[in-house]
Amino acid sequence: MLVITRRPGQQLLIGEDVTVTVLEVSGASVRIGIEAPSDVRIFRHELWLEVKHENQAAAATPPDRLRLTTQEEITEQCL
Amino acid sequence: MKLEKTRFGRIEIKDDAVLEFGEGLIGLPGKRWALLSHADSSAFMWLQSVDHPPTAVPVTLPGLFFSDYEVSLSDADAELLGIERADQAEVFCVVRAAERIEDFTINLRGPIVVHGESRRGRQIINELAGYSARQPLFRNVEMAQVKPASPAAPMAATGI
Repeated sequence: MLVITRRPGQQLLIGEDVTVTVLEVSGASVRIGIEAPSDVRIFRHELWLEVKHENQAAAATPPDRLRLTTQEEITEQCL
Repeated sequence: MKLEKTRFGRIEIKDDAVLEFGEGLIGLPGKRWALLSHADSSAFMWLQSVDHPPTAVPVTLPGLFFSDYEVSLSDADAELLGIERADQAEVFCVVRAAERIEDFTINLRGPIVVHGESRRGRQIINELAGYSARQPLFRNVEMAQVKPASPAAPMAATGI
């Protein structure tokens, strides 16, 4: 991991297309601004990790597990 | 096209049923996917990887269970998918199908947005607060009323 210290107002360039600006440090939080092309996705890491775990757990479902009631019955009961 | 060595054995997929996910699904291999359903219109479908046949995830329509579920789609995502109006978007969520039906959960945090016409899809992180990645599905259902369906019918790729 590259570790850099920046002060509010200072920036980082990642590649030539992504600019990270440290906006404000307040207590234990830091506000960060990111400019990137629209095809570069930016995620809060912990949320991305959570979705990845759920995807991978779901992909391990045994194929015969989905023997469930019909769509009509579920809409009656749940809505 | 025929897919060999899926978890359902060999299956047949219509070429026009294939969906393109530019970045694939988060953490899973492959960019091309197809929706498979049981012939008896179960609420649950499988999203089958076309590029990596052993991979498939159960999905459902979140609106069936949570009538006020909302997804916030960024302009960039909408443009990428070719979506101009909300009604063009089809939203699916990945389901963790547990052994007991009471333990089923749905990932409302990472919905899959698909545009039927452009055949493009993307899994996004739903920025709207309060949505869980492991939301129980059957919490409000009286368990005595949920009956097992008939044995699984042959899988068929569904058009959306």
